[in-house]
Amino acid sequence: MKKTVAVFFGGRSPEHDISIITALSSVIKPLLLTKKYDIVPVYITKTGKWVSDAKLLDIKTYQGHMIDDLTKKSKPLAVNFDGGFSIGKKRIDIAFPAMHGAYGEDGSLMGLLRMAGIPFVGSDMDASVIAMDKVLTKQVASANAIPTSKYVFFARTDITENVRAVVAKVEKSLTYPLFVKPAHLGSSIGISKVKNTLELTNALEVAAYYDEKIIVEEAVPNLIEVTVPIIGNSILTPALVEQPLTIGDNLFDFDKKYLSGGGKKGGAKQSGSQGYSELPAKIPSQLYEKSLSVAESVYKVIGATGIARIDLLIDEKKGEVYFNEVNPLPGSLYAHNWRASGISGIELVEKLIGYAEERFEEKNKLTSTFDSSFLQQF
Amino acid sequence: MKYFTRYLSVYPTALLYMLQDTEYRLDRYAKWFLRTNDFTKVMKRRSLEVTPKIKLLRMVLWGLWALIILAVAVLVIIGYTSQSFMLGLIAILLVVLLPYILAFGIIVPLLVGAFVIQKPRERAMIERARAIFKDSKATRIAIAGSFGKTTMKEILRTVLAEGKIVAATPGNMNTAIGISRFASRLIGDEEVLIIELGEEHVGDVKLLSELSRPTMGVITGINEAHLISFKTLDKTVSTVFELVDYVGKKAIVYKNGESQLVRDNVTSEDAYVFTQKGVNGWKVTKSHTSLDGTHFTATKGSTTINAHTHLLGLHTIGMTVTAIAIAHDLGLSAKQIEAGLQNVEPFEHRMQPRKLHGAWIIDDTYNGNSQGVQAGLELLASLSAKRRIYVTPGLVEQGSSTQDVHELIGQQAAESADIVVLMQNSVTDYIVQGLSDSDFKGEIMIIDNPLEFYTNLDQFVAAGDVVLMQNDWTDNYK
Repeated sequence: MKKTVAVFFGGRSPEHDISIITALSSVIKPLLLTKKYDIVPVYITKTGKWVSDAKLLDIKTYQGHMIDDLTKKSKPLAVNFDGGFSIGKKRIDIAFPAMHGAYGEDGSLMGLLRMAGIPFVGSDMDASVIAMDKVLTKQVASANAIPTSKYVFFARTDITENVRAVVAKVEKSLTYPLFVKPAHLGSSIGISKVKNTLELTNALEVAAYYDEKIIVEEAVPNLIEVTVPIIGNSILTPALVEQPLTIGDNLFDFDKKYLSGGGKKGGAKQSGSQGYSELPAKIPSQLYEKSLSVAESVYKVIGATGIARIDLLIDEKKGEVYFNEVNPLPGSLYAHNWRASGISGIELVEKLIGYAEERFEEKNKLTSTFDSSFLQQF
Repeated sequence: MKYFTRYLSVYPTALLYMLQDTEYRLDRYAKWFLRTNDFTKVMKRRSLEVTPKIKLLRMVLWGLWALIILAVAVLVIIGYTSQSFMLGLIAILLVVLLPYILAFGIIVPLLVGAFVIQKPRERAMIERARAIFKDSKATRIAIAGSFGKTTMKEILRTVLAEGKIVAATPGNMNTAIGISRFASRLIGDEEVLIIELGEEHVGDVKLLSELSRPTMGVITGINEAHLISFKTLDKTVSTVFELVDYVGKKAIVYKNGESQLVRDNVTSEDAYVFTQKGVNGWKVTKSHTSLDGTHFTATKGSTTINAHTHLLGLHTIGMTVTAIAIAHDLGLSAKQIEAGLQNVEPFEHRMQPRKLHGAWIIDDTYNGNSQGVQAGLELLASLSAKRRIYVTPGLVEQGSSTQDVHELIGQQAAESADIVVLMQNSVTDYIVQGLSDSDFKGEIMIIDNPLEFYTNLDQFVAAGDVVLMQNDWTDNYK
């Protein structure tokens, strides 16, 4: 008997459109090809409405006005927590979040699915919350002796109320050049590289437009930026260490990742969901191994399960590998890297479903209630 | 409900597709039509290609449809006004028979066109070709056999082109009309003509030999192909050996000694029987094959050829050394032969390797014979890979040998592959039985939608995989 998998995508996030591609090309298509699963697509609009319809499985639905008509006409989706989880009349066996950014990748959806009591793919709520907060992840990494670049962080109100004081504090603690980032956004949205006071002031104001919490980091010199996708729960399987290729300002922003085909430098490059990259990264074997080791350590200490992608910064001269950030649900699952690592698109989604079920079973073994005489006192 | 798909707007298109897909061979069209119930699911592999012929037939079909509808309307009106029960009954009968009138009515213009226009035109073209071949001063090499004809032709063409002006029949143009078309395009300065002879009925090779007057020949192998029309393997053998009857007594015919049915029909003294070990005094040593191609050394007397083609599989050596022997006899130098061999690339859809996301895909989808299957599986077994994946629908037209041939494929696949992907059809169970007989421990995937599998192959494979895709059935086979 086929299992029913609900795939969640879209969402109230700047990465809404990327999420649609992740869901359709890297999750739903391979799941359908296995012939083992029935798919219930759950599309969350930019305004937060939930829609489920077979037409959502076709990319053409999103390329014109059809998606607007569909979402307008569709009735509010009934979700039942009746000793299980049902969407409309369909009982869901497994959930597969394919969402990026806020209200999806940040633990919100995972909280809902935890309440529903069904297995779901990817990290649980707590790990997702940590992973989606660039400050929290650095704090957790530092507490576990994993090197990170120097950083300071501020609340949005600190910046809106007295940006000069914030600038002064940054300049006292860190040395230019610096990166200014909204703490919770992915896909490099709102990120700036700054080299002086004026640029820093502007960048802080831009970042404060996007997020409640803003982090400022010291740039790593002699930089090689690499990323390591990992899957697994207790036993981890890393993919290849991948080096995104950038030009000009050394910043791999949203346009480069998704719109301009990456920072193409020429030569033999791998074109993946995130533009062009060197796959595997052409770095000394010692740095390659160190990158894998740091990435696996980060994955473990934040409590990630299922899948995540760990971004690292390498100081080539020093031979030091710094943890940069975690992406608990990488765009298109980084399927291009997994294929190059010997795991096909179908194998990847099947493994992820297996990890979800394994974690669910492990969790079910734990005792979540205990009998007490507390109420008898009243 | 499926019956009523005959009344849907897709029905005329499905009929035209069936005609086109069977290459307007009315017996195959009729068989396909009679076994089809759901006409919405006829076009699986491709869609109708709108050629001028199809446009004309479509007009005829819709004209016929309009005529019948008009007749029904007239019958209903007259029947109603004259209160004639019989006319009403005829109208109903016309509606019931409408799909069949369309299906078989469309054959009429095809038959008329064939007998009134096409046949006389073809006869004239064949007579002109006969005269062209009679006057030709070129060495004419005929290639006959159940399999391997195109490969042999292409190796010869590429090697000989290093030192001669060569022309060869293109693609699968191996019928009387195809060869005649080829003759009509010759300039006259050709030094070598390579002519592929097709065979489907007893006497075909004799007829084509008499037309093209070969001065030399190659028999590439004999198997169960076209057994449905030949009825017995003896008839297949005698038909292919019609080339020897025509050429053999006064000239050379090379014969594939690795094909059992050829070997059974040659004498041990025949120097022109080729194998992986050599032919006619040429000795093959140091042979090996990989995804890069096939290497070997061929030596005869003081001449040594270091051969490297980009063809995959040791089974190609026999044909390659034959090409070396022919080229040498026609006066090409060792250097020219080696250069020619370097230019031999895998032919489209025949053991053609390509990379897909780090995996190797060996496209052998034009391979439809059991010897080719064996050669492909031997190659697959010899390659190191993370997963060796074998994809096939099986073979068509194997006559009474169908079960044995496919059980053997299953047994061979069990030795060569980690995953076997079968396209669901009438022979699938036999292959599964063969796998089971060999205690296959790997994964068996049975695919009910081949097109979906082929178009999404990128989702199934990853770096380190080697996938051998052998044969592909068109929609008219089930």
